[in-house]
Amino acid sequence: MTSTPPHAPGGIASSPKIELEGVCQTFLINGKPLPVLQGIDLRVYRGEFVSLIGPSGCGKSTLLNIIAGLEEPTQGLIRTDGRQAHGRLGAIGYMHQKDLLLPWRTVLDNAVLGLELRGMSRSQARRQALGLMEQFGLKGFEGSYPSLLSGGMRQRAAFLRTVLADQEVILLDEPFGALDALTRANMQEWLLGLWESWGKAVLMVTHDVEEALLLSDRLYVLTARPGRVKMVLSVELKRPRRYEMVTSEAFVRMKAQVIATLREEGSRPTQSEGQA
Amino acid sequence: MREEPVHGAGAASRSRRYPSLVGQWGPPGVILLLALAAWEGAVRLFHVQRWLLPPPSSIGAELWESRSLLLRHTWVTLEEVLLGFALALVVGVALATAIAYSRIVERAAYPFVIASQTVPIVAIAPLLLIWIGYGIWPKVMVVVLISFFPIVVNMVDGLKSVDPDMLSMARTLGASRWQLFTKVQAPASVPFLFSGVRVAIAMSVIGAVIGEWVGASAGLGYLMMRSAPQFLTDRVFASIFILSIMGIALFALVVLAERYAMPWYQWEKREKALGGR
Repeated sequence: MTSTPPHAPGGIASSPKIELEGVCQTFLINGKPLPVLQGIDLRVYRGEFVSLIGPSGCGKSTLLNIIAGLEEPTQGLIRTDGRQAHGRLGAIGYMHQKDLLLPWRTVLDNAVLGLELRGMSRSQARRQALGLMEQFGLKGFEGSYPSLLSGGMRQRAAFLRTVLADQEVILLDEPFGALDALTRANMQEWLLGLWESWGKAVLMVTHDVEEALLLSDRLYVLTARPGRVKMVLSVELKRPRRYEMVTSEAFVRMKAQVIATLREEGSRPTQSEGQA
Repeated sequence: MREEPVHGAGAASRSRRYPSLVGQWGPPGVILLLALAAWEGAVRLFHVQRWLLPPPSSIGAELWESRSLLLRHTWVTLEEVLLGFALALVVGVALATAIAYSRIVERAAYPFVIASQTVPIVAIAPLLLIWIGYGIWPKVMVVVLISFFPIVVNMVDGLKSVDPDMLSMARTLGASRWQLFTKVQAPASVPFLFSGVRVAIAMSVIGAVIGEWVGASAGLGYLMMRSAPQFLTDRVFASIFILSIMGIALFALVVLAERYAMPWYQWEKREKALGGR
């Protein structure tokens, strides 16, 4: 996974890894059209960590499904590396809120699933995965079945599977949503370290304002359904980020701003901002 | 949510999950012995005729004295059971896969799969005799007809019950349609398949006996049919005894295969039983 060159040659480096232009999605519910996304413009550049935050039901998951190629939008363009992307399915990593580990595979064999699907022999894929077990806090559990692991470990195993697949863009759908507060804080720090050594483009959906600010370079705030981009915020915090930054003045100010924007949407902003 | 793995809890509960041999076989063993003793006592006390109800001791004696005869017929029945079951497994899995994958096949085939179970097998068996003739095949066909149903129904459920998010996950990792089947859907359906197989293997023995009743020249079912009019009642009981041993042994083999094939499933079941997460 570390073999990715820092910058692709030519002019490609300057075009965003992912670019959405006027993406709309409308579902038919009982014959009535229900607009879910309306004119979404969004960019994620190489090596950038971008978060997407919004009230429940603003179509965040639909948006990720569209970017991953699981759904096609009713309208709008999606480009990867500046080219219109038709066959994106399989080229963009997608990590769900649920770990979705295959219960009949051991941790190691779950991790290599992406490599295996691409035709790599299982033994070669396993060798590659074994070297990363320690970094993912899974050393000693290579041969365990997922049902024996804690929630945090399962989530890290799912991360390892996503990372090993070595796709250049990774979508995260509330990756820590199912974890308790303490585990979540640990996992956020761990992910920060991982991502800083890693240089991939990440687009993360979250409910948690603090998490979004702590991890991201930029933050998109969406409106309630139909989802539109309400605000784009550049998070002006130094890297490497540390958890202590959540009490800094800049952080608190940005947090207030994001929460105010979310409140305008007449929605209850989320669980964890009350804790800080 | 625990951050630590739960090996400790697992070790503690091992004794609960794998009871000792005595704990497992003791209670049914005691009941069986009591029942046999009551049976033996009642037959002797009331001087019941042997042709009406032989005591367990004379059934045991018959098992020993006619062992070569019984064994010969046991092999015939076992062959029918195994052949029929194997065919049912192949046909059942293939049909279930087709049904799960194609709406058209599902709509076209499923009614007949269900209809096949509403027609009394005893009524079809003579027809099979007319169509296929004597020999092993009509019995094998009865076994197939009776045991493919639980396999198909369970396997279809298994293939359809896969978490759609799991399939999406595999697709974003670049899985082809075939890979979705081999890497996700098929393995996910294996526990369901085994549920069907456990029912099917027990029914297979019944199927073989029905097949033999209708027309056969060998097998335990045939032996029972021939022994009853001669009032060789202890031989009928001996046959029944062997048939139930056969059924239990085959069932146990399936359970063993299940444990061997799906170690992960045992863990998962236990985690759920313990109220894991």
